[in-house]
Amino acid sequence: MKPLLRRLRRELFATPGDALLSVGLIALLGSALVGFLRWALLQAEWAVIQANSTLFAVGRYPIDQQWRLWLLTTLLLGAAGLSWGMLRAHPRSDREGILWPRNDRLAVSLLVLIALWLPWFLKLQPGIQARWWALVAMLIGLRWLAGRFGRQLPSKLKRAIPLLWPTVYLLGMVLISGGLGIVKVPPSEWGGLLLTLLAASFAILLCFPLGVLLALGRRSELPLLRWASVVYIEFIRGAPLITLLFLGQNILGFLLPNGLAPERIWRAAWVLTFFAAAYLAEAVRSGLAAVPTGQVEAARSLGLSYPQALQHIVLPQALRVALPAMVGQFISLLQDTTLLSLIGLLELLGVARTVMANPAYLGKNAEVYLTLAVLFWCCCAALGLGSRALERRLDPQTIPSR
Amino acid sequence: MNPSAAQANSVMIAARDVQKWYPNGFHALRGCDLQVHKGEVVVVMGPSGSGKSTFIRTFNALEDFQKGSITVDGIALSNDLRNIDAIRREVGMVFQQFNLFPHLTVLDNLTLAPVMVRKRPKGEVQRQAMALLQRVGIAEQAEKYPGQLSGGQQQRVAIARALCMEPRILLFDEPTSALDPEMVREVLDVMRNLANDDITMVVVTHEVKFAEQVADRVVLMADGEVVEEAAPDVFFNRPTHERTRRFLDQIL
Repeated sequence: MKPLLRRLRRELFATPGDALLSVGLIALLGSALVGFLRWALLQAEWAVIQANSTLFAVGRYPIDQQWRLWLLTTLLLGAAGLSWGMLRAHPRSDREGILWPRNDRLAVSLLVLIALWLPWFLKLQPGIQARWWALVAMLIGLRWLAGRFGRQLPSKLKRAIPLLWPTVYLLGMVLISGGLGIVKVPPSEWGGLLLTLLAASFAILLCFPLGVLLALGRRSELPLLRWASVVYIEFIRGAPLITLLFLGQNILGFLLPNGLAPERIWRAAWVLTFFAAAYLAEAVRSGLAAVPTGQVEAARSLGLSYPQALQHIVLPQALRVALPAMVGQFISLLQDTTLLSLIGLLELLGVARTVMANPAYLGKNAEVYLTLAVLFWCCCAALGLGSRALERRLDPQTIPSR
Repeated sequence: MNPSAAQANSVMIAARDVQKWYPNGFHALRGCDLQVHKGEVVVVMGPSGSGKSTFIRTFNALEDFQKGSITVDGIALSNDLRNIDAIRREVGMVFQQFNLFPHLTVLDNLTLAPVMVRKRPKGEVQRQAMALLQRVGIAEQAEKYPGQLSGGQQQRVAIARALCMEPRILLFDEPTSALDPEMVREVLDVMRNLANDDITMVVVTHEVKFAEQVADRVVLMADGEVVEEAAPDVFFNRPTHERTRRFLDQIL
C-alpha cells in the first residue's frame, strides 16, 4: 500500500495548488457519479427497456422464426469459444515477455458476471434466461476445451478453424433471410441490433478489399487507374454520408445490376460500403507509403512477380501499419449505421425512436439513449480490443512460445 | 567448338554503350561498356554519384536505360517482361540496406522465392536454406526475425537469401557500407568464400583490401563512364588514367 500512497501524493498532491485542483476535481467527479447512480438505480424506469428488449435485439423479426437467430447466435458463440481457446493454446510473448492474450481470466469472469446480471436486469422469461446461460456456458466450455486440447489437434484441423468464421457468416445470411428451404423473412422485418450488426459487418467485410484496391489504384503507375481512384475517393469524401444514403435510395437501383440491391436495406448497406471504402483506401495508402521501396526491389530481384511481391511482401507490412487507422474507420462505420434510421430503417436508433414515440414510454428518452450508448460502446470496445490483440499478434517481435 | 565461340559462351554479362537519363534530364550513364565472364569477380569502384550503383542495377532491370544493350546469360534485356523475369531468376542481388523482409523469419526470407518462383517443394528448400545459413554461419538464428539480428548477421542472411535462388550471377551494391566497422569483416569473409566458387560476382564497394585480394578485375567509374578497367595489381599500382590516380589518392 505504501508505494500507492507515495504515488498518489506525487501525482495528485505535489504542491498546494495541485492538491486544491485534485480535491476540487475529485469532488466534482464524485458528485457527478453519485448523481448518476441515484438516477440509474432509483429514478430511472427500466421497464421501457425490459418490455422492448426483443425489439431492440431483432426488431420485428417474426416470433415463430426466431429460432433461426438463436441457432445463429449459438454458431457464432461456438466459433468464438473455439477461436478463443485456440489462441490460448498457442500463446505468444512479446518484447516485455508478457503472454498474449493478457487478462484472459479477467475477461471470463467479467463475461460470467454480465451473463448472470443481464437476464435478471432485463427481466427475461425464465426459458430465454436459461438459453442465454446455456450459451455462455457453451462459450466458456469450448474455450476451455480448445485451450486444453487445442495443441494436440492435427494441423490440418487447426488451419480450418479460422474458416469457421466465413462459413458461419454465410450460413447466418441464409438463416436470417431464409431461402434454401426455410421460410423467407423479408429485410423490411429485420431490425434492431441484428440490423445494425448486419449492415456494419457487411460494409466492413466488403469495403476492405475495395479499399485496398482503391489504395493500390491511387499509387498505380497507370494514369487512368490512378485518376479514376483519385476521383472516386475525393468524390466520396467530399459528400456527407447522409446525402449519399438518400442518393443511394433513389439512384442505386440504376447503378447496380438488377437484383443486387433490390431492397432498401441492401441499398443502404452498399452505400455504407462504398463510403467506407474511400476512407479505408486512404488508411491503406498511408500503410503502403510506410513500406520502403527496397522491399519491392528485393522481392523483384528475387524473381517474384509484382502481384506476388504485393501479396507476400508489401501488403502484409502495409496493412499492419494501417491497422489502427483501419479499425478507426470500422468503428466510425459501425456508428454511422445510426444514420440508416434517418432513411426510415429500424436499426438500433430507428427502433429506439419508435419506442420513444410510444405514448406508454413518454419521457423515457434518457434510459433508451443510455442503453444505446452502452450497446455501441460494447461493440466498439470489442473491435478495439480485437484490433490491439491482432496488432500484437502480427508484430514481428512477438514470438510463438514453444 | 572453336575457341572464340567458347569464349563468347562464357560471357555472363555484356553491356554495350549503356546510356541512362533520369526523368529530370540528368545524364547518369554516358555510354558504359563492361564484359563479365563466367566465374569472374569484378569490383566496381568510384566516387559517390559516379553511377556505379545505377550501372549494376541495370543488370537485373531495377533501373531502366534508354540507349545501348545489355545481355545477361545470353538473354537480351529488353522491355519484354518475360525476359526481365527470366533474368531476375538468374541474377541475385545484395543491397546496401539488406532489405530483408521484416515480417518473415530468417528461414522464410530464404525459402519464399524458391517456393513461389521456382515452385520447388517447401521441405527441400528448407533443407537447402538451412545448409546455406550454416555456410554463412547463422543457422542457429533461422527462427528469428530480421529485426532481432545485428547488421552483419542481416547482411549474411541477405546473401544466403540470394544464394537460395541458385543464381548464376550475384550483384552486390555496397554490401558493407551500412555496417558498423566491426561487422564489415564477417560479411567480406562470406563474400571471399563465395568468390572461390564458380559463381559470377559484380561488387560495388569501397573496400580496397577486398578488391586487391579477391577481384579478377577492378573497374573505376566516374561521372557516368567506365574510366579504367584492369587487374587489381595494375589498377592499384600502375593505373593508366589520371582520374584513377586522383581517386586512389583520395581513398588510400
